[in-house]
Amino acid sequence: MQPELAPVSREAQPSEEAPALGVASRLTDDRDLFDVLDFPLDLRADVYPHPRFERTLAATVKDVRLLGQAPWVRSAGKLELAIQSEGYKFPAPPAELERPAKPAMEREPAPGKHVIDLPALPDGEEPPKKKLIRPLPTADTVVFKDRLLYLLQPPLDGLFDGRQLAVPFEPFPYQLEGIAFLMPRHAALLADEMGLGKTAQAILSLRLLFHQGIIRKGLLVAPKPLIHNWCRELKLWAPDLPFEVFPSDPELRRQTWYVSNCPLKLINYEALSRDAETAADPNLFFDVVLLDEAQRIKNPGSKTADAVLGLHRARSWALSGTPVENRPEDLANIFAFVEPGRVPPDASPKDLARLTNGMILRRTKDIVQSDMPPRLMRDLDLDLSPGQKYTYEKAEKEGIVHLNSLGETITVQHVFQLVMRLKQICNFDPLTGESAKLERLVSDMEEVAASGQKAIVFSQWVEPLATIAAALEKFNPLQYHGRIPQAERTPILDRFKADPNAHVILMSYGTGSVGLNLQFTNYVFLFDRWWNPAIEDQAINRAHRVGQKRPVTVTRFLCTNTIEARIADVLEAKRKVFNDLICQADKPSSMGLSESEIFGLFDITARPKRG
Amino acid sequence: MTLVLSAGGTTAVTDTPNAPAPTSTVSPQLVGFLSIVHDAGGLLGGYLITNSWGRPVEFRLTTAVSPNKVQQILYGPTLTEYLHADLIGKALVEKASVVPGLIVVDALPALALRSRVDVPVVAVVPRGNEVLLASGAEEYVSLANPRSPAGVVLPAKFAADRELIEKRLEAVDPAVDLSEPFLRVREAVAEARKLGVTARAA
Repeated sequence: MQPELAPVSREAQPSEEAPALGVASRLTDDRDLFDVLDFPLDLRADVYPHPRFERTLAATVKDVRLLGQAPWVRSAGKLELAIQSEGYKFPAPPAELERPAKPAMEREPAPGKHVIDLPALPDGEEPPKKKLIRPLPTADTVVFKDRLLYLLQPPLDGLFDGRQLAVPFEPFPYQLEGIAFLMPRHAALLADEMGLGKTAQAILSLRLLFHQGIIRKGLLVAPKPLIHNWCRELKLWAPDLPFEVFPSDPELRRQTWYVSNCPLKLINYEALSRDAETAADPNLFFDVVLLDEAQRIKNPGSKTADAVLGLHRARSWALSGTPVENRPEDLANIFAFVEPGRVPPDASPKDLARLTNGMILRRTKDIVQSDMPPRLMRDLDLDLSPGQKYTYEKAEKEGIVHLNSLGETITVQHVFQLVMRLKQICNFDPLTGESAKLERLVSDMEEVAASGQKAIVFSQWVEPLATIAAALEKFNPLQYHGRIPQAERTPILDRFKADPNAHVILMSYGTGSVGLNLQFTNYVFLFDRWWNPAIEDQAINRAHRVGQKRPVTVTRFLCTNTIEARIADVLEAKRKVFNDLICQADKPSSMGLSESEIFGLFDITARPKRG
Repeated sequence: MTLVLSAGGTTAVTDTPNAPAPTSTVSPQLVGFLSIVHDAGGLLGGYLITNSWGRPVEFRLTTAVSPNKVQQILYGPTLTEYLHADLIGKALVEKASVVPGLIVVDALPALALRSRVDVPVVAVVPRGNEVLLASGAEEYVSLANPRSPAGVVLPAKFAADRELIEKRLEAVDPAVDLSEPFLRVREAVAEARKLGVTARAA
């Protein structure tokens, strides 16, 4: 707006408008001196918007390059925490084995007085923790997931205390160690001394592996007389594990090989030899093959050994209390099954321990059960009766004359025949029937029966057993030997155990010395001696085994100044070495009698022609 | 997820990053045992799922995690619980192919897992840790059970789980000692470390 000009007069009133810049006030003060003209001056300022001032102010931050780089600034790193995981699923057992059989219900207590185990009062101290026994992966299991298979299995200690798995009694700690040894191994020889429960250990190992789904098909090979025993033990130690015995009919056996889905099949060595071709079919594969009395394959090239070696299998387990029955090579031959190629057939005895390291478990009663009742050995030296003596001397004299007359045509069989003849006379005089041994046996049996005990009598031959049975009639003797049909054998053993009046069982070494559990007997009589101390030990251990509560008295009858005494001397010397078979490098070449030793039993000059 | 089948042996199940967690229904008869192990590489988790009588059904383990200084500062006092419950515990439970009816842990911080998963969680109390328990008495509820001589505890916030926990513990075989499977887990973790498996999972 432009100011309007107006004339100045003296009477002009002071403007209501404010004087500009102080000049007006001075003019007012000097009003009298000057003519003041009113001059309307309006100096108000108008504000006009300017686009530049409409913009908001913003600061631009620019990194100083030097400070944004190492080493001037250190990164805080990743703030997020992260992990990755890896998982392993375990094999599932077959549906029928998903849940173990529950232990049988406890029986209701009978009426009457009972002894009650009161719980111990706490004494403030915790009992020392037992070391848990667990199957651990072997050194040659190198893949982590395979090692996990065993590392994460629960300890064996709690499994068999009657709460999880039905077992007749809780296995001993050394037996749990045996199970922990077998379970993770694909190649194993359990060589415990007879009587320590190899059968139970093997069955429980199989049972656990079946339960864990690690194995699904198993084959058990055992001597024919022991198949019944295995069936009984399987029902006892693995009631939830289905098993099937190969029938004797070849066509039915073929069905069992190919059609049957039974998890565990049992076959005897003889049937397996006959089915060798079928058994070697690559379509037949077993997760585990278990050989009982594995010394049966000690002869390489035999039909039995070939049939066993032909089986296609993932795990090879062998059981034998006498893996070296005669020669160190026996062990190498068993290992041809356990782990083919590991032990060369010509391996020296010194190398055997190294080559089989970690694959053999051998315990003796001395080691595992210091509290086991003792085995009392009683060598009963008897003089032949007059009739026996006459017959014996005559037979020996004539026999030696005959042998010498053979000259270079003599063979060990000729000498052997004479030995057998003389041993039989030591048992009974064929002319008069006299027997110093039998007289003594009857006398001893009076004592055994009077104390309510039971006894086993072993003989090399079956015929004398019938004579002995007649003499021991009042003790209700039972007989168990090769001429007893298979089907009747188990009932005989059951009766011997259950019948309190059956005080004695008469057995042949060949049939009764292996695989039987007769720990309810406390007396063993060796009516005559076997050729091999290992077989005698097996026989004795029918009674002196796990579960035996009382001392076992073993009586070895020996007729003085006879062939029996001479054989006993040779065998005794060998027995000392035999005890260290597994752990000693310098093993004897044979545990029985060698040819030269048999010739040495008599004072004969004839020797077989060589070459 | 990669599956490698092995006849008669364990089956490896490896998870890949960002793979969706398997959806499973709860198997009440199964029990999970979660152990957080401290080692030179940091913390790592082992998780064993067993059936009611202690037989292994599945096993998972994690790589080791070691929080750096900044992470320790940023997570502050929540770090331990975060590592035990969120990072390791939850991941293992979710990645497993089966969901157990009960999870047992061997460290109190891992009890926080309960708020991350819909499965009851209890901790076995190692002997000598009664003092530790007493200090956080209001946070835990004790439960006596013959399968754990020193008892078990559950988070007080989830005290309502008590009845279900008792029921599921009852189904566990009486011969099972709840602290025993942790020995197996630690042994397996040590074995994994020896064979470089924990590094391979990373």
